Amino acid sequence: MKFFIGDLPVLFPYPRIYPEQYAYMCDLKRTLDSGGHCVLEMPSGTGKTVSLLSLIVAYQQFYPEHRKLIYCSRTMSEIEKALAELKALMKYRADQLGEVEDFRALGLTSRKNLCLHPSVKREKSGSVVDARCRSLTAGFVKEKKERGEDVELCVYHENLDLLEPHNLLPTGVWTLDGMARYGEQHKQCPYFTSRRMMPFCNVIIYSYHYLLDPKIAERVSKELSKDCIVVFDEAHNIDNVCIESLSIDLTEDSLRKAARGASNLERKISEMKDTDAQKLQNEYSKLVEGLQAADEARDEGAFMSNPALPDDLLKEAVPGNIRRAEHFTAFLKRFIEYLKTRMKVLHVISETPPSFLQHLKELTFIEKKPLRFCAERLTSLVRTLELSNIEDYQPLQEVASFATLVATYDTGFLLILEPYESDTATVPNPILHFTCLDAAIAIKPVLERFSSVIITSGTISPLEMYPKMLGFNTVVQESYAMTLARRSFLPMIVTRGSDQGSMSSGFQTRNDPSNVRNYGSLLVEYSKLTPDGIVVFFPSYLYMESIISMWQGMGILDQVWKNKLILVETPDSQETSLALETYRTACSNGRGAVLLCVARGKVSEGIDFDHHYGRTVLCIGVPFQYTESRILKARLEFLRETYRIRENDFLSFDAMRHCAQCLGRVLRGKDDYGIMVMADKRFAKKRNQLPKWISSALMESDSNMSVDQSVATAKKFLKTMSKPFPARMQDGVSTWSYEDLMQHKGKIDAERQLDGPMNGDADAYNMHGDQIMNEAQGADGMDVDADFDAAMNSMDV
Amino acid sequence: MSRAAQSKPAPAVKRPGGGGGSGGDAADGGRLHDDLSSLRVADPATESCPVCKSSRYLNANLRFLVNPECYHKMCESCVDRIFSHGPAQCPLPGCKRTLRKHRFRVQTFEDIKVEREVDIRKRVALVFNKREEDFEDLRAYNDYLNDVEDITFNLVEGIDVEKSNQRLESYRSLHADEIAANQHLAQEEKMSYKELQKQERQQAKLRREAAHREEEEERREAAETKRDMLNRLAMGTEDAETVAKEGQQVQLKRRMDRQAAAERQRQLQAASDMNNGSSNLVIKGLKSRKAPEPEAPIDPFGGLSFEGRQYYNLQDEYTWEVIQNPKKDKVVRAGGYDVMEQFGGRALCEAFSGLGVFVADETSEGVKGEQDERVAGTRRAEVGAKDVKMEDPF
Repeated sequence: MKFFIGDLPVLFPYPRIYPEQYAYMCDLKRTLDSGGHCVLEMPSGTGKTVSLLSLIVAYQQFYPEHRKLIYCSRTMSEIEKALAELKALMKYRADQLGEVEDFRALGLTSRKNLCLHPSVKREKSGSVVDARCRSLTAGFVKEKKERGEDVELCVYHENLDLLEPHNLLPTGVWTLDGMARYGEQHKQCPYFTSRRMMPFCNVIIYSYHYLLDPKIAERVSKELSKDCIVVFDEAHNIDNVCIESLSIDLTEDSLRKAARGASNLERKISEMKDTDAQKLQNEYSKLVEGLQAADEARDEGAFMSNPALPDDLLKEAVPGNIRRAEHFTAFLKRFIEYLKTRMKVLHVISETPPSFLQHLKELTFIEKKPLRFCAERLTSLVRTLELSNIEDYQPLQEVASFATLVATYDTGFLLILEPYESDTATVPNPILHFTCLDAAIAIKPVLERFSSVIITSGTISPLEMYPKMLGFNTVVQESYAMTLARRSFLPMIVTRGSDQGSMSSGFQTRNDPSNVRNYGSLLVEYSKLTPDGIVVFFPSYLYMESIISMWQGMGILDQVWKNKLILVETPDSQETSLALETYRTACSNGRGAVLLCVARGKVSEGIDFDHHYGRTVLCIGVPFQYTESRILKARLEFLRETYRIRENDFLSFDAMRHCAQCLGRVLRGKDDYGIMVMADKRFAKKRNQLPKWISSALMESDSNMSVDQSVATAKKFLKTMSKPFPARMQDGVSTWSYEDLMQHKGKIDAERQLDGPMNGDADAYNMHGDQIMNEAQGADGMDVDADFDAAMNSMDV
Repeated sequence: MSRAAQSKPAPAVKRPGGGGGSGGDAADGGRLHDDLSSLRVADPATESCPVCKSSRYLNANLRFLVNPECYHKMCESCVDRIFSHGPAQCPLPGCKRTLRKHRFRVQTFEDIKVEREVDIRKRVALVFNKREEDFEDLRAYNDYLNDVEDITFNLVEGIDVEKSNQRLESYRSLHADEIAANQHLAQEEKMSYKELQKQERQQAKLRREAAHREEEEERREAAETKRDMLNRLAMGTEDAETVAKEGQQVQLKRRMDRQAAAERQRQLQAASDMNNGSSNLVIKGLKSRKAPEPEAPIDPFGGLSFEGRQYYNLQDEYTWEVIQNPKKDKVVRAGGYDVMEQFGGRALCEAFSGLGVFVADETSEGVKGEQDERVAGTRRAEVGAKDVKMEDPF
């Protein structure tokens, strides 16, 4: 289907389009035209990825700037899905246009997933693969080979050098599999092919970390130009990703390993002094001149890079007192020893980086400035020493990046030392958390560098929270409702049990037998009435365990057992995937199953329960974070002080976004249907924090129910849903054909002409997404239900 | 294995003044030490005193002390027993150093080598305390740092200790003033930093309390509104729907008000922060701080010169009878005055004074000058005020 948004011709690879997709595209184009950032919330299962890709590809191909698209997603499977969508889109475009466009798109993932080297790819751990790969591909190894030494090289990597550097790969869309296959055929390394081809691509699809984690971003994404379009998909957790990428945890064990690493370095240095003193001297003189000169040698195989050092610092020379290699190792040892001493303290300490530095200086005479250069200096040293078994130095690298970060940022970070694992533990097992409190720090370089950053997800409400937390301004900020030809999902808030006793997972009442029994009866009732699969979400593993054992005592599980198989998620991912597989088999073959899982666990994100795999989702309790955690407390305080976000606001926002994620699991498309039950009295007040598409479907009468009421409503709903619903019923309402679209456009134009003089210069496409949605909603309205019944009757005949 | 036996090799190799230990030895010692240190960490519970052999297993409160003379570790009771009657030899076999009780202290770092290194650094840092601002450019500063580190490293590793000590001493004697000045500066900085931290903590506390209060207030208000609404509904004189709507509106309005107030407050605070910021401004530059120039002798005329006489030249001889006589008169000359210089000069000065003065110009300039003076005065005062805060105004 081909249509125009403004002057832009868009080729959409399906014959029909959803109204919200069209609205989404309009808003996207508006953002790209004005060159700013935006936050968009689009209901899950409404084809967000395809509309995003088809608009942006059209935009790229139509306008002469050919802005590059960087599409970031969260998991491997999502990346592959996006690549497959893009491939289909490009095929469709080629069919329609009659020619294959000069277009190259590829995905990037870790070495572990792409490696072809026969022995390296058999390694299990990602970091080992990385290290082994580096030892086969680093620049100095090749130099050694050229000098005639006997070293092993990776053939796949070597073959790349024989090709033209800008044409390692023919044009087209390359999925990860396709890339591996091509690499196998041509004996070239897929990982380095993608890395090196990134500047010559129209679309790059990779994980968040390549852009957000400053340690990786600097190496991988440095050369991307300023006018790239950056998209963060599934971005509801983006603030946590930002924070995690800058936080470091140190334990006694890792410090010990780091100390060992430092001693090893020392030994290597003295060895090198005996054999090749010239090399050390060269490095030294380079450092005298400044880091920039040393930078030239930086290659893609570099050991590590500096976490978020400002550019002006990079031009500065390394401080004199860590210039010599042996001085630097002594410096590291002293620093590690200091950290060890700090670990011995047996009470909790939380302090800011400046006070940490002050104490450090008093005790060990380590100044702030050399500390700041630690990471960079270590990289340079490792490169000079030509170390091959880099994985041994991982802990040392961690300490060095910790040193750099602690000396670079005064605010937005906190050091928390927890000597005991839990409050009741008596054996100390200290952990030094260096935690980032400000999500804006990691994403700031991205927002500053790229003119258009698009943050989008199925559940990203309340929208204004994200710009506030990440510190940016948006040009467009939009949430779309879901247009439906029939009410295909039923959100309900259950606040009371059948005995009218309130239900809550609040701390005071969570273990009350009556409360637990109410939850139990809720599950029993729904296991009776739901066809196929039920997914139940608990706020935490701890609570899930306690409630399950209580249910066992009450005989509730036995009753559920009569209707469904019961499966449980565990922290172990292997067990969980086994449980998931069994669950799917049970849903496909038998009476279905109940999957008990945790709202912040693996199942709650990234695993879809479409169609019969999930007909009901029960959210037992509001999934608040564990508020006693010191890190969370520090972050809350920081948010309040810096961004004026109140503790309670943030906590409830965070709980509701997880809840929305869980609820969204069951509805993966317009022909899907499901029941969403939120079982906690506290949900009643949090209604407006749900994403628009859920809250608009949540009726006032459904927002304060008891178990038996909700059961009755659910039964009625399922009865309606069980009637066959032909696809054509959706035409013109929740799906538009080309004619519908044109009709809609004509309507808009007419409206525009009515109030033409008011805003004559605005183009048709400039229309707000809201208007489009209203229009679409208006079209279905009330009469559809009546129509629908009539249609059903005629069908029966 | 006892701790003494493990830690002994390290100091033995690098005993200050030994001078014999080459680089290779030092590295060996270091390695041995490190391997053992990881062993030692494995069971801190069975640590035992090398002198009296009592272990932590028997005495949970065992505390170990070291003396920076030889860094041998022993337990507190041993120290009391051996050294309470004055200085004595280290009781460990092979160590002949004389130790004093008052210098025993608790070990800060687990690694005795680092402990010793830090002591040396303390000594070096007292002498080499130049600051980044003392240098013209970064390169010079870095070179300085490098040199200092070289000296320290040599002292720590026991390479050319004599020479390094010499360098240290010579530097100390050469730059005594500078060292003292920088020490003073560092002290001041520390004090002001502490003050600042205290203030910050206090402010954070205040803010936290304010947020608490605000929340409390809000809760109270909400409860009040609800009660009020219920009361009005109970009276039954008004329409229920309007009452409910009004209640909601009141609540909404209050919330908006509060938000606006908070915003105002924040802006105010930001503004005041800015003000504070400018007065607390510390500009650090890479520039040598020049010592003030030696003070010139006091000039009572403020630089007004009497030399450049524009309109006349004093000559040696004048044929003027008024001065012929006094020139020869002993009485007049007894005072030591040069008649020509004093008398003649004065006469000429009086005769020509006033030439080149234009009254009209002078009066207008005078007014302007006065103003200038005032402006300059205030400006000087400002500069003075700023000088106090600024470390180095470029």
